[in-house]
Amino acid sequence: MDKGELVKTAALAKLKLDENEVETLAIEVSAMLENFSMMMEADVEGLEPTTQTLQQENRTRRDEGPIDSGDNLSNDLLERVPEKEGRFIVIPNVI
Amino acid sequence: MKYQSFVGLEIHIQLISETKVFCSCPNNFGDEPNTNICPVCLGYPGALPSLNEEAVFKALKVCKALNCHINEKAVFDRKNYFYPDMPKNYQITQFESPFGVDGYFNLELDDGSFKKIRIHDVHLEEDAGKMIHDGYQSRLDYNRAGTPLLEIVTEPDLVAGRDAELFVQQFRQMVRYLEVTDGNMEEGSLRCDANTSINLPGMGLGTKTEVKNLNSSRFVNKALTYEIKRHGKILDKGGEIIQETRLWDEKTSTSKSMRTKEDSHDYRYFPEPDLPPYRVTAEMMGKVESAMVELPNDRKKRYIKDQNLSVEQAAFITGERETADWFDSLLKLGAESNQSASWLSGDIQKVLNREEVTLEESPFTAERIKELFDLINTKKISNNIGKDLLQAMFKEDKDPSLLVKEKGLEQVSDTGAVEKVVDEVLAAHPAVVDAVRAGEDKQVGFLMGQLMKATGGKVNPQMAREIIMNKIKGSE
Amino acid sequence: MKKYKEYVENWEKKIGSFLQFDPEKAKADSSSEGPLKGIPFGVKDNIAVKGFDMTCGSKILENFNCPYTATAVEKLQNKGAVVVGKMNMDEFGMGSSTDNSALGETNNPWDTSRVAGGSSGGSAAAVAAGLVPFALGSDTGGSVRQPASFCGVYGLKPTYGTVSRYGLTAYASSLETIGICAESTAMTRDVFNIIKGIDVMDNTTVDYKPSGKDDSNTIAVLKVGEGDLSDDVLNSYKVSQQRITDLGYTVTEVELPTLKYVVPAYYVIATAEASANLARFNGIRYGLAEKGAETPSDLMQMSRHSGFGDEVKLRILLGTYVLRSGFQDQYYHRAQKIRTAILNDFNRIFEQADALMLPVFPTGAFHHGSSDLTQLQQKSADLYTCSANLAGLPALAVPSTIEKGLPIGVQFTAPAFEEERLFRISEKLEEVFPVQNPEGYSKEWNK
Repeated sequence: MDKGELVKTAALAKLKLDENEVETLAIEVSAMLENFSMMMEADVEGLEPTTQTLQQENRTRRDEGPIDSGDNLSNDLLERVPEKEGRFIVIPNVI
Repeated sequence: MKYQSFVGLEIHIQLISETKVFCSCPNNFGDEPNTNICPVCLGYPGALPSLNEEAVFKALKVCKALNCHINEKAVFDRKNYFYPDMPKNYQITQFESPFGVDGYFNLELDDGSFKKIRIHDVHLEEDAGKMIHDGYQSRLDYNRAGTPLLEIVTEPDLVAGRDAELFVQQFRQMVRYLEVTDGNMEEGSLRCDANTSINLPGMGLGTKTEVKNLNSSRFVNKALTYEIKRHGKILDKGGEIIQETRLWDEKTSTSKSMRTKEDSHDYRYFPEPDLPPYRVTAEMMGKVESAMVELPNDRKKRYIKDQNLSVEQAAFITGERETADWFDSLLKLGAESNQSASWLSGDIQKVLNREEVTLEESPFTAERIKELFDLINTKKISNNIGKDLLQAMFKEDKDPSLLVKEKGLEQVSDTGAVEKVVDEVLAAHPAVVDAVRAGEDKQVGFLMGQLMKATGGKVNPQMAREIIMNKIKGSE
Repeated sequence: MKKYKEYVENWEKKIGSFLQFDPEKAKADSSSEGPLKGIPFGVKDNIAVKGFDMTCGSKILENFNCPYTATAVEKLQNKGAVVVGKMNMDEFGMGSSTDNSALGETNNPWDTSRVAGGSSGGSAAAVAAGLVPFALGSDTGGSVRQPASFCGVYGLKPTYGTVSRYGLTAYASSLETIGICAESTAMTRDVFNIIKGIDVMDNTTVDYKPSGKDDSNTIAVLKVGEGDLSDDVLNSYKVSQQRITDLGYTVTEVELPTLKYVVPAYYVIATAEASANLARFNGIRYGLAEKGAETPSDLMQMSRHSGFGDEVKLRILLGTYVLRSGFQDQYYHRAQKIRTAILNDFNRIFEQADALMLPVFPTGAFHHGSSDLTQLQQKSADLYTCSANLAGLPALAVPSTIEKGLPIGVQFTAPAFEEERLFRISEKLEEVFPVQNPEGYSKEWNK
């Protein structure tokens, strides 16, 4: 994979890479892609793709709230927020 | 018009449910910020989505109403892009195999004709949170994150802004009938993005632009009319349309470029491994079918054809499902359709408007109104007394017959009693009596007025008039 | 209790299997009654336990205190077992050595210059050293079975969907399950029977429907080629084959024609899913948040840059790339078809045999770093384990022999829901060839 493609892919993944990383990752990614290309030899003619195994029944949940456990989960979650103002989570402005 | 235009819509509706689509947090995003959140909808490590069956049911209702082909195996997919309002940085949606595909909607145009608008697909997904921006920072509230959202995508079968406006209005009416959403555009529970392209006739679709931020059906019309005109001007000058997303600015009544195709996302859709495919069973479709209601356009047709209502009356009554259902129950009780329609659109609506309540919230049950009609039709009370009674019914929340008794509003139809009052009135106004006798029949009105004043309007007016005329002219 | 703590602390100086050890922290969350009453267990640090941190071996979650508990853990707590700590692991489960942990090094109790395996290295090492009788791990491509083999303990990867993943930090959702490292077959079985079952919080959990045929007659044995295994592992494998023959099973040698394609298929699917699963770590709602960002995009990029290690970045990049428009057919879709092919291979074998024996890993525990095996070689070595993940089948690593002072395990796999069949084979072997323990082992927790 060339560095241009790597940088483009990194941007999609919101990964900032420094120059050293671009160098080493370009080599490692290419090595893996070469390994992936082995799949081209496999005869997959007529095979359906498997995205999940075994599941046969529908799985749904009833439209009901949880039994009130008494603890205040949302406050617990807010405690873990890096930056907040009151109950709002705060981030730099979107431009 | 030199060019042919094509308009397609993408409509999002927020589904009504107790809980969010993939977790059991309340589907109630007006609450204090970040109160209705849990590890699932906040995208915590280890949390997994769990599908809300009510959201599936409502999605299928819409698919059915839009005459869609229901995919036997509906699949959820991940749509990948980073944005702060989306906790997982992917949205669970449906891409390859949504609940419904290839449907249509019969759109009624202004001239009363119908046009079939094809529906590309109907898919279920999760909503994002809300971001509030100020000068230097953005505040995030995830109460809305993970609430159920249904997206309906039309084919570009609409041709103008007005078509799109009608579509949004009639679609909104339909989904409100289905009770799947409240359809409030200002509050965002019905959101609409529109795309349009133009081309010379016979040339097929042109390069399209998408317009966002259309929070009323009128804006949809304005924005599309503007876009179609803008495209035309560009093509007239030999220019090229740029495929892009534009933002409608209501203040300036113009659209502005938001992003071009070049910086559009690569969403990297793939099947959501955390949710098994949903197999739509015959049992589920049976449940959906039994929950279907007669849709507004069908109902309107029925009222015009079977109940002899005018187009305007039928449109008024079918405007809200509540009104139409109420109208139907009134008919079921044996009320006459024209009387029902004119009271409903007239005096009843006047009271509701003045008191700012809906029919459902008011004390006007179908039974009470039928009773009111019976009182009028059997001449126990006059039409005018009936109108006053309506107000009393609202204020006191009582049956009309009871009020008639309590207030002594029953029309006096006893000849002896009426004659007695007539005699008194004639005696008090000899000059008028003479005038009538001389042929000035118009003056009878004055005498009638005096009579009504004396009796509080309770006299049967026809009977009173006859007696007056007999007494004056017959005594010669 | 004091002696137990001392015992653990002494071992920990040598092996570093725990990221957090605190037998009191979650004691109150366990039932005071039940079949596992008072039994301590460790939990891989990508599984949620309220009160403990959940770091996933990553800087991005280094100080993340977990506000909820995984379903599997809760089920064990309800039966009386007590979480005593969180186990070290390769960052987000990405690795075969636990060397990819950003938060500590774990050594093999049999030879501290060697790795305990990975990614559930902490879980396997702690069980091997007798610090806990069992520990939960997670198995995406062999992450329970390989370290179990390296450390000489039992390692179960259950049938996909039988154990709720709720609370397991996702790496590759369609492949992974919570797994068990344990000191005995009986313990493995007890824990499995407690943690299995449908969970409303995990829509991928399935009805458990075994065939009822728990005893095996025929065991297929995967034929290995020249150079496929190290001498030690090959030797051990031959001994295992002899042992099952001696135990009276009918043994037939078989091949898996798709085996040579499973590693690329596995890595395509695993990295694709990982690229989405790890997108949630962005410095906004929890975890590491870099200071000084001027835009949300900056905040995300900076936090992900300093929070993720090299291997994680590599896999996110690969996964993002294989899902990009224009590349999906070549990679992702093809990998899903190979998945079908390996499943067909297994089904063909199970028409003739009740279970299949195959190696766990081509080598025994290797030295830290890349001197024995490069990162790429380590990945290629996943072929024997990741097949069961692609097919969703249950697989059990069973300690077999000790070669040059290091334990070597062997793997059995069976059709979906046939865990009991695996336990019975394992139990028979265990009766005749009991598990050996490293020097300094004592069952201190039981005293």
